[in-house]
Order: sequence, then C-alpha cells, then structure tokens
Amino acid sequence: MRQLFRNDRMWRAHELKGAYDIVIIGAGVHGLATAYYLGRRYGVRKIALLDKGYLGYGASGRNTAILRSNYRTPEGVRFYNASLKLYEELSAELGWNLLFSQCGHLTLGHTDTAVAGLRVRAETNQLLGVDSRIIYPAEIQKLVPHIDCSDRPRYPIMAALYHPPGGIIRHDAVVWGLARACDRMGIEIHPLTEATGVRVARRRAEAVLTNRGEVAAGTVVNATAGWASTICKMAGVSMPIVTPPLQACVTEPLKPFLDAVIVSASLHVYVNQTGRGELVIGSEIDPYQSYSMKGTLPTLEQMASSALELFPQLHNIRVLRQWAGICDMTPDFAPIIGRCEELDNFHVDVGWGTYGFKAAPAAGRYLAELIATGKVPDIIAAFSPERFRRRRLVGEKAAAAVSH
Amino acid sequence: MAQASPSEGFSFLLNDKPIQAKAGDSIGAAMFRAGVRVFTRSFKHHRPRGLLCVAGNCPNCLMNVDGTPNVRVCTTPARPGMRVAPQNVFPSLEFDVLAASQKFDWLMPVGWYYKTFTRRPVWNAVEPFIRKAAGLGEAPPSIDRFSGEDPDYEQRYVHTEVAVLGGGPSGLTAALEASRQGSRVTLIDEQPQLGGHLRFTPSDAERRRVLAGQVEAAQGVEVLSRAQCFGLYEDGLLGVVQLPRDGGEESLIHVRAERVVVATGVIEAPLLFENNDLVGVMLSSGVERLIGLYGIVPGRRAVIVGDGPRAGRIASLLKDSGVDVAATVRPDQVLSVTGAAQADGVRTAGGKIPCDLVVVCGHLVPNAGLLHQAGGSLDWSDENGAFLPTRLPPHVEAAGQVKGSDLTAAVPSPPAYPDSKRCYACLCEDVTTSDLRTAIREGFDHIETLKRYTTVSMGPCQGRMCQISSIGVCARETGGGMGETGVTTSRPPNPSISLGALAGPRHPPVKRSPLHHEHEALGAVWMNMGQWKRPRYYAPEPDWSEQRIVEREYRAVRERVGVVDVGPLGKIEVRGRDSGKLLDKVYTHRFGSLKAGRVRYAVICDETGTILDDGTISRLADDHYFLTTTTGNLEFVVQWLEWWLVETGWDVHIADVTGGRSSINVAGPKAREVLAELTDIDLETAAFKYMACRRGEVAGAPAVLLRIGFVGEMGWEVHVPADYGVHVWRSVLAAGKEHGILPFGVETQRVLRLEKKHVIVGVDTDALSNPYEADIPWVTKLEKQDFIGKASLGTLQSAAANERLIGFTMLEDGKVPEDGSSVMLDGRPAGRVTSARYSFVNGTAVGLAWVSDELAEEGREIDVRVGGKPARARIQQAAFYDPEGRRLRM
Repeated sequence: MRQLFRNDRMWRAHELKGAYDIVIIGAGVHGLATAYYLGRRYGVRKIALLDKGYLGYGASGRNTAILRSNYRTPEGVRFYNASLKLYEELSAELGWNLLFSQCGHLTLGHTDTAVAGLRVRAETNQLLGVDSRIIYPAEIQKLVPHIDCSDRPRYPIMAALYHPPGGIIRHDAVVWGLARACDRMGIEIHPLTEATGVRVARRRAEAVLTNRGEVAAGTVVNATAGWASTICKMAGVSMPIVTPPLQACVTEPLKPFLDAVIVSASLHVYVNQTGRGELVIGSEIDPYQSYSMKGTLPTLEQMASSALELFPQLHNIRVLRQWAGICDMTPDFAPIIGRCEELDNFHVDVGWGTYGFKAAPAAGRYLAELIATGKVPDIIAAFSPERFRRRRLVGEKAAAAVSH
Repeated sequence: MAQASPSEGFSFLLNDKPIQAKAGDSIGAAMFRAGVRVFTRSFKHHRPRGLLCVAGNCPNCLMNVDGTPNVRVCTTPARPGMRVAPQNVFPSLEFDVLAASQKFDWLMPVGWYYKTFTRRPVWNAVEPFIRKAAGLGEAPPSIDRFSGEDPDYEQRYVHTEVAVLGGGPSGLTAALEASRQGSRVTLIDEQPQLGGHLRFTPSDAERRRVLAGQVEAAQGVEVLSRAQCFGLYEDGLLGVVQLPRDGGEESLIHVRAERVVVATGVIEAPLLFENNDLVGVMLSSGVERLIGLYGIVPGRRAVIVGDGPRAGRIASLLKDSGVDVAATVRPDQVLSVTGAAQADGVRTAGGKIPCDLVVVCGHLVPNAGLLHQAGGSLDWSDENGAFLPTRLPPHVEAAGQVKGSDLTAAVPSPPAYPDSKRCYACLCEDVTTSDLRTAIREGFDHIETLKRYTTVSMGPCQGRMCQISSIGVCARETGGGMGETGVTTSRPPNPSISLGALAGPRHPPVKRSPLHHEHEALGAVWMNMGQWKRPRYYAPEPDWSEQRIVEREYRAVRERVGVVDVGPLGKIEVRGRDSGKLLDKVYTHRFGSLKAGRVRYAVICDETGTILDDGTISRLADDHYFLTTTTGNLEFVVQWLEWWLVETGWDVHIADVTGGRSSINVAGPKAREVLAELTDIDLETAAFKYMACRRGEVAGAPAVLLRIGFVGEMGWEVHVPADYGVHVWRSVLAAGKEHGILPFGVETQRVLRLEKKHVIVGVDTDALSNPYEADIPWVTKLEKQDFIGKASLGTLQSAAANERLIGFTMLEDGKVPEDGSSVMLDGRPAGRVTSARYSFVNGTAVGLAWVSDELAEEGREIDVRVGGKPARARIQQAAFYDPEGRRLRM
C-alpha cells in the first residue's frame, strides 16, 4: 500500500560508459528479463541495455499480451510452461502488478483436421502436466456466452482446446516492472541508443557501435526480435530468419463480456477483451516480408470479418486503432537461443516470431544461466543456433499458424 | 431522395421519455433543446459531462442508440422512434452512485493498479471486481439474445485522379482547381452539406453558397457526403467510411487516388484549468454549431475564456443571440470554473464571475493525423501554436488550416496549468494534469510511455481532445520544448469505423460438386473440406450409427463395387512442348520420361524437402499432362507451377480445370464389369494396366480414365465434363445396381485408404514432414537434374531421421484412438497418431503415427493413448490390407 503514494523514478538516465561486462542490444522484455535474471541470480550488474526506441517501443508493446503454454512439441510445452510459471510469480517478485488475468485460453477447431491438431496438443500437454483439454460446443458456449457455436457460420465450431491457465497480461507493465527491477540492481538502461554496428575481431564481438559512441563488451546479447537478423548481420552472423509484419487492432471499450482468449487458426484471428474493456483482435502474419510497422486496410478488413464469424453481434462495435509489429520467423517456428557458432561471446535470443512475449521470463532466465555458467540448460537445448545445420528442427510450425 | 421528416417535428425516446426534435436535428441537439444537459458520466470518476464540441470529436456525448453503444449523439441525425439510452451509469445520468469514486480518487493515483495487489492470491480475488468497473459501452447481447440477422454492410470501390479530403473552403477551392486542370476529382466531406465551418457562421453564408454551387456544377467532381477518410494507406489507397442518407449502416469505400489533397482543417481542443470538464463548459466552435446549425442558444449568461479576434467574434455571436456576456477573460486569468455538476461561474484573481455557460476558445489543432499516417512529419510551430505537417510524400499535399494557414496560438505553449486532480487533460480516460505530472516524475517522460502509462489519448476521442494538452504538460515538466517532446504515432482508423463496415458483406464461398443434388437425394451427411461440401457418408436410416453406415459402404467397395465423388480433387491441365521439363523441376519424381498413357504418383516438396502436396500426374499425350492435387492445395499448386515457369521461356500452358470436370472413382472387384457396360474402352488388365490412363467415352460422355487405387481395389477414376456429371453418375449407379453398387463418402474412403497405408498430405504429414521420414522415399529421384528441394532431400536421405511415420495395429479389443492421440514411452510423449480407424478386415483398429526414430521398429510394441490411458499397439510397416497390391492389378 505504501508504494501507492511513492513516486520514485522507475529507471534513471545514465551516461553511456566505454565498457560493460555485458551489452544487451534490445531493451524489450527479452533483453530486460535476461538482465534481470543475470543480476538477480548471478549477481552480474555491469550490464548495459541498449534500445533504439523508447522503452517498450518494439514487439514488447505491440503484441497482444497473451500468455499460454499449450504448445505442440514436448520441448515447446516444457519451455513455455516454465515461462508461464515465472510470469505467475513475477508480480510479487517485482512488487509491480503486471495485471495477469488467467482467464483461460480457447483454440477453436472448425474442421476434423484442425481438431486432430488440437488433440495432439491436448495429449502432449496432459502428459507433461499442463492443464489443457478438448471441449465441445456445449461447454464452449457456457464459457463464452457470446460466441456463435451454432450451425449458422460457414465453418461451425466443432471443438476447442481449452487451456485454463492461459490468459492476458499488461505487456507494458512487464517492461516497466522489469526495467525498474534492473535499475535498482544498478543495471543501466539506455533508451534511444541505437546499435549501428558490431566490431568483430578474433572470433569475438568486441564492441557495439551506437549513435552515442562505442561500447566495449565482454559478452554481447542480441535480443532485438524483428530486427534480429539486421543486428546479427552487423556481427557477420547469418540467421535463418525472415521478417514479416503481424497486425492487430483494438475497439472502443465495452463493458466486460468476454472472459477468455479466443483463437481460431482456421479463421486467422484471435480475440480477447482487456481489463479496460477494449477488444483486441489480432490476425496471422502478413504474407510478405517487410520492416514496415504500418497497418494495412486488407488485413484490418480480414480481422473484422473473421471476428464477426465468431461474434456476429459485434458488427456495430468500432475499431479505434490498428497497428503492426514485425516478427523474426524461423523455418520451424521455434526460437533460436544460445551462443552463436561463429563468435565466442555473441549470444542470440531471437527467432521469436509471434510467440516471444509469453516466453520472455524463461528465455531471460535460461539465457542468463548460459551466459553466467557457460553451460546450455537442457530446457533451451532444443532451440540452439546449430540445430539448422544439424537438421534438428522443432515441430512447432504445424501448430503455430495463428496461435501466437 | 431522403424521406423528408415532417416539418412540424417528430419524437424519439430518451430512456422512456419522448424528446421532440426538428427536421435536421442531431440527437444531441434535440436533447439539448429539450433541456438535457448531462449526456454522459465519465469513464473513471463518473463525473457528469455535457456537450462540448458538437462535432463528434469528444467523448462527452457517447450514448447507446437503438442498441449500438458509443454513438456520438451530437452529430448523429435524429430519426423518429429512435431509442436513446445513457451508458456506464448506475442507476441514472442525474444520479450515479459510482460518482462517489471521486471521493476516493486519492486511493487511485495514476497507475495505482500497478502498485497494488501484487500478490497473486490477492490479485486473483480482486481482479473480477476491478474488471467489472471497466468498459464504457454496453456489452453486445449474448448469442442467444442476438437476432442472428446480419445487417447489410456494403463496400464500394472508387478510382479517381485527385481525392480531396474536407468540404470546407480550402477543400472546395482545391477541388475546383483540380477540376479546372481537367482532373477527375472525388471530394470527401464529412458533412451532409458542403462548406465546412462556413455552414455555421452566418456572415459566411453567401461565400458558402457560391463555392458549393461552383463545385456542384464543376466538371468531373464527385462529392461523397457524410464520408470521412479514416486511413491514408500505402500506394494511394484511402479507407473511407460513409453514412447513408437515411439511416441504415455505414459503408466502407476503397478509394484509389493518384493525388490526395488533405484539407481537413482544425479541431478545437480544450484548455487546462480546474474543473474544465464541468457541464456548461463548451468549446467556442461547439457554441457556434449549436447556434448556427440548430438555432439553439446554449446559455443565458456567458463567460468567454480567450482573447483576440476569436473571442471577439464569439462574443458578438452570443450577444446577437441574446446571451448576456458577463466577461471575456484571458486563459491565464482563469483560476477555476465553479459549480457542483453544472458550471455556475468562473473564478479569477478578481473574484467569481457568475454564469451558466463558459465558452472556451481552445487550441486549434490541425487535423493532420492522416498526413502523419501517410508518412509526413509533424513539426512544432511556435507562431501557429501547432504541429504542422511537413515532408509529405510526393502524392500527398495539405491545404488550408491543416497546414497552418490563418492559425494563431490560443495560449502560449507549453501552456500553464494547475497541478490539479480536477484539471482534466483527457476526458475519455479521466487523466488529470496531476496524473501526468506524477507519471513524468516516475520516469514516464517520453510522450509514448506517458501515453501508455496514463492511457492519455488512448480513448474514444483518439487524442483529438487531449493530445496537445498532454504534449504541453510533458514539455513543461521535462523542460523540453513542444517540438522536442513531439507527437505520438497516428494510426488508422481515425475516425473509428465499425467492424461490420470493415467486414462488408460476409459471404464465405461454398463450393459444391456438380453431383451435389444427387448426394442430397441419396441422404448425404455433409462435411466441409476446404471450401467444398463433401458427403461424409450416406445415411440410409436416420438412426444408424456412423460405424454401421461406414461398414455398409466399406463392404460394398471391398466385396462388390462402390462409387465416390472425387470432384473436389484439384485438376490441372498442363500442355505444351516443355511441360515435362516444368513438372520435372517442380515435382520430385520423373515426368518428362513418363510414357503417354501412364499415370504416376506425384509429390511436391519445398526447398527444405518438406512435402507440400501430392496427387497423380497422367500423360495423356506427349505435350499434354493431366494433374490432380489435394482438395485444399489446388490454388497453391497452380501458383507454384506458374511461379517456377516465370522467365523460363518454356512452352507450357497451365489451366485449372477443376470446376469444369465432374470426377468419380468406381472401385471394387466388380468395377470392371460395371464400367464395361458404359464404355467401349478395353478395361482388361492386358489392355489397361494399373497406373495407366486412356481417353474415350463413358456413357456417351467424353472421358479421361485413370486406373489407380487409392482405396486399394481395382478401380478407375473417371473425369468427364461437368455438364455430363449427373448423367454419368446415374449411369454408373444404374449399371452397378445388379452388382450391389453403393455410393460411399469421405469417411469410408478414409478407412479404405488407411488399410492400404496411403498417406493424406496435411493429415498424416505436417509442416516438417519429408518423403524419407514419411516412408515414401521412392518418390524422390535425386539422380535427375535439379528440382525444387533436391539439395535438401540429398542431405535428408543420408541424415538420421528425427521421427518416422509408422503404421500400427491395436492389440486391445475395442480401443480406437482418436486422431491426434499421443504415442507414449514410459509415460512420456513419444509420438502422435495422425489417423486411426477401426479396420473391418483386421477386426481391430489400425493407424498411422509419427514416432521417434528409435521407436520405429517393425513389430515393436508401443503404447497409444486411448481415452487418456495407454493401450498396447504393434508397429507394422506393411499395409494392413493386401500389402502386395494384388487386388489393384486384377
């Protein structure tokens, strides 16, 4: 309660020093989480986080803030479940309410094949102890009285994967809470500081060049999501990543009526209602590569049309904003975490595509462990950079599509 | 023409109370004339709010109209019989118990929810209550209370040379100018009549009449009235929303323009002083609109806050309208507005000036969001007291006040303001100057983080009322200038647009085979397959179980003869000298060397060796191939072939003929006897081998016959022109009658093919499956010249497999795993079932599953999860039925 009336600064501005033990490029949720766990668990404090924008400018503030762990592959389920558990405790740990609402998450199936795909996930989830099961229209209707479970739609809802621990969180709050915690440990956050190059010598990324000068680094971490491949390129590291935009929109606030996250891969749409009453509607990734973060009209129309297939009574609800973020997609729709083969001190936490936000705490924690101990933790071993060379891809692509 | 409202007036209902309206009234104007002053309660503090802008910009008049929430009643035309109701009040506008929350707002400083309830059990307990208080408009009716009727939303497409946005004097002038130069012009104007602000300033009436008349008479100018551009997208695409003339739903217009002139003028925004939100505080343009458009005098005794010519003009307008102007005070002289709910005076250093109307000459903010969206910059101008558009993209220009013409600052910027919990910077979200200051002190000193933390400018006004004030506060608190502080990103749609208008007419396509009505008559139970409707099976009696129906159809095929409609299969004709070359490049097997008259199974892989599609390729003649694809992938395969053909210079012509053919598969031991009655083609194996094709006639129709065996019996796929489909189908059923022929559906076909271990791409394979792991290595011919995926397939061939597609038979009676069930090893997931069905010939369930490579051993016993519990199964690599394929070659 006392905190309520304190107006301490969340994070302070600093001069950029000439050298740090660790330089993290990208001060979004991934970079911040990595710094936070490095500081908290391993006592590493000489860390600088660089971001070209304001805090939360990139994907951390552009995602639709959905958390879940009902993935398809065992390695995916284990990892995201670890992340969800960390999120559950993070508000208390940071002393900052992240407004995590575990309202439940439903992935709809409109065809036999889709339902079989959902069952693969339910089964794997259950075997790994994640609460997740197939439910049918009667139960879906009970959970979501407003959704159209009738035979009227072109593709009636046949079943859903119900994941009660899933939900939504306030994405900006995660950024701010982590930033405050980092600042209190003496970790420096440098917004509006753009990495413009990486100086490489003797198989090491020796320094990061920025618009505010050069910074020498013991270890460099690339946690720049949509810009991951451009930063890697500066270091001469190539990543199998393509970068398409992903769009979403938000409506005027309505009295709360939708208490679950609704996803339909067949309709390429997902819908949830925020704590402020707005409906957030998201789509699948755009079918082309671009670094543009402008919304487009066709995608907006498609989101509206798909949302109305599920909730036809929303037709007179007004859209207030649309926006886009950019996504670093890998060939197997799984992330790349670890030390690059090409450089001895260059770590990546990239390839997060459309599922990075929900992964941040686990990615940060285990990357911190890797940096601090030099050993690859089991839980992220499947996501190593060298898996592409070894042809050991992770099978999330079959499930991902729109289920960000 | 619009229905003329009766000139003597009409009425609509506010709650249950009739409100009299005059022709041309907006809902809000009629309510105001009837004495209504409180229109809404605010979002957080439930403060009473009344008309402010009368322009549809602010959130002060959002009400529910005929069930639609958040309607701006100040601009929405009144119509007889409408039902208008307040929203977010309990129990009523005049008395809202939640207004008590003002008394507790010290408990809810900005960002309070981030700073409290951080412990999980506490948060989980209080969250539902906090959530309940959220939201503004009514929730939509639950689905059982929804009429289910989709209103008609139309969409239009307009192509033009010059689009002019705004029907004020600058827009009209720009339109005339473009028309004189010979351009086709589309003028997009928000109002029902042209003229912009000239409509409500009496001295401008003549100028308006002349300009509007010239535009209406001008060559090649189309006027879209009641229309607003909500987005300036890439490539000259404008999203425009238009209201119909007489009620009904708004519609979306896609306008493509070579050049865009933005003449959207200015929006007046409130100034900062204590109690600046009280009912009775109005913007000067709001007062002008009420008087000029509706003949409503909004008060008896007014204080004008402002100086210069604008204040003088409004003073004389008020005096002419019979209002007693008590005083005109400069903004910096105002200490606060007084009054409980309704303003009753203005307090200055010299004391309180009693009044019932406070007219604020507010900031004139260029309505430049569209220019910002289109890629232009907004640079601060001290002289104009505004952010002005610069560095516009080449096809976009600004005209009139939006670019700063005749614009002077209302107050010096950054403005002075009290640090007050009752000085509202943001009316939508009840954000006060005190909140902004606190947030900035806490470190949210970038305008974008300030916005996200305090939610200023994130409400229904989309920043129109609050952006300039919040930038001002941020600039003053941080010591940065207005320009350095900058604006937040402008995003479409602005103004907002309904989901219905965006979606437009929703008619997801349904594809039906030429035989659809035949199936219907035979009792087909339908299923969706891609866009197609296909019979799952045919129910002879309504009370038959699925198992019984499928077994009946299954036995007909295995023991006698069956026929299935395969019309939805993708069908492509590829002709031309170089057809073989293209197919060799795109497909993994050899097709250039396929002999005319032969058929071959065909697989497409991508560059990584992942299976994308499968089907058959028949060579009908040297330069003529006939391809089939999976139902869902037809469009993709056509695109893929065309993509790889581009720039080769090859003589290849690709035609999708799916809709032009009716296709059936006649299969079973008696298939030959049935078809022989309908064709002269010699169907004996000596003349017509398995995997051969012929052209000829079937039942008098020109046909292509392929002897293939997806279901594992001797059979022919018969393709005829769609018009002959019904005739051929009926002829086959008639000829088969004596042999006990039955039509069969997709579900039966799935059982039949599963017994043969025939893979369905997309069901048994997924986004990572390659031919080696899917156990069809023979489809790749690595020794042939380069083809798509060759390099990867070469690596994969010698690499250890990650997992393998295996067949299995259940060892426990009555256990049929559902598709998608897990394969387990020591209680852990070790694979997944893609397809499993009860096999009538085996007397137990059989299936296909992906398992880890170590597990994929012939004869090995595995656990398959059935109903959540493990059940024993045995891996079997050979087909479950006729593994040697003898029945196909009979």
